[in-house]
Amino acid sequence: MDNRLQYILLIVRNLSFIFALLFSTLSSPVFAQNKVRGEIIDFGVNIGMIAIEDFPTSEALGANLTFRATEDFFLQLNVMQASSVELSSFEKQPGQGKLFDDRNFLHYDVLIGYNIFQGEFFTGEKTANLSALYAVAGVGETEFGQESRIATTIGLGYQVAFNRRYILRLDFRDYISRRNINQGDDDALTHNFHFSAGFSYLF
Amino acid sequence: MKLSTKPFSHLLLTLFCLSYFSYGQSAYAQAESKKNDFLQLEIIDTFVEVHTGPGRGYPVFYVIEQGEKVDVLKQRAGWYEIRSQNGRTGWTTAAQLSRTLQTTGEPADLPSVSYGDYLKNKWRVGFTTGVITSGELDGSDLFSATLSYRFLSWLSLEGEAGKIFDSGRESEFYNANILIEPFSQWRVSPELIIGTGELESEPQPKLTSGVTNGEFVNYGIALNYYIGRRFLIRGEFRQYDVDSDDNELKLDSWTIGFNTFF
Repeated sequence: MDNRLQYILLIVRNLSFIFALLFSTLSSPVFAQNKVRGEIIDFGVNIGMIAIEDFPTSEALGANLTFRATEDFFLQLNVMQASSVELSSFEKQPGQGKLFDDRNFLHYDVLIGYNIFQGEFFTGEKTANLSALYAVAGVGETEFGQESRIATTIGLGYQVAFNRRYILRLDFRDYISRRNINQGDDDALTHNFHFSAGFSYLF
Repeated sequence: MKLSTKPFSHLLLTLFCLSYFSYGQSAYAQAESKKNDFLQLEIIDTFVEVHTGPGRGYPVFYVIEQGEKVDVLKQRAGWYEIRSQNGRTGWTTAAQLSRTLQTTGEPADLPSVSYGDYLKNKWRVGFTTGVITSGELDGSDLFSATLSYRFLSWLSLEGEAGKIFDSGRESEFYNANILIEPFSQWRVSPELIIGTGELESEPQPKLTSGVTNGEFVNYGIALNYYIGRRFLIRGEFRQYDVDSDDNELKLDSWTIGFNTFF
């Protein structure tokens, strides 16, 4: 027991040293001198609907982290989940029953985005808000029906920055992945359309 | 029990140091900001165009002349938000703002326009995707997310987490890599990758149990292509030597990656 405690304390100590090191690099003079604050990263949450192929449309919740690389390109990490996917018409057939019990649809991906049309959205005579229509593409993973499969994501979105730091986003995405839910011989290529509206905060 | 108090005291010491540094930093920052809220620069170009937004398509609505002073408010990718002496606020390119003087008379030293070692002490985040082209997993898709920190202009440490998918199996891997990039000032520059990690694979769908674990070393070469100062596209070839429970596995991978710095 004593050994175990020592071991834990040792881990804590080592971790704290690592954090101290990280902290000291983050607060290095390079950053301290820099009075100009960068607006590079935003974090957002979204709510929407996902139409999983062969299944009824479900409500979905998601979150994302966006890194602005250039004025045209950005990188985005996404995670979304639909927790209670209802029975498909196949499963509803008399005598068929559920194909699987875990009705959770989980998808995450990493995307590269390109701002196609950057512009301004006018909320009044004197206020102009920055807006952009953007396209995204990337890869990720979809976990559904006891399978984890690689997914390709393509999508189109629109964003408007209200009050500079608050960004409204509307997104339409297609998660393309192979699936073999009923354990047949062949994988089927599926399209799963996700439509969402979200808010992001720009740090 | 006497021994175990030692790490604890180390922890307390570290926490104390942390709080001391953070307090010191914020107090310093506050004092600085009271003295002068924003970085002030003097324009030395004939004129600087001020756009309504941080993008080349936004219209120019104002022009600041040579010799005028501007406050630099915020930075976005490739752009700076500035305020002129008469209070007009707009956006100008980092390239134009690089040709300015500080109040001390020295050239402006802005993070995105300074010359030399702009990659040092930077975090890099990105993802890669590609295919495995040899061994047992030939033809499998692969993707990973990476986070790295550059200690020196030519040396960074990278953490990577990824997945390999083939029809019958799903594998996860985690590794730590050392990246050596001797000519990082080049627009297209080669990089060496050496690392070690762990691979865990399980059958698909997850109906049967049977997870195989293996440690691996990986080495490879990447070609980096820098677009601007903050965006990097890289092509990579890697070899993984996996030493799993039952057999040895050699994997080759070809991937493309997208990264940004912050």
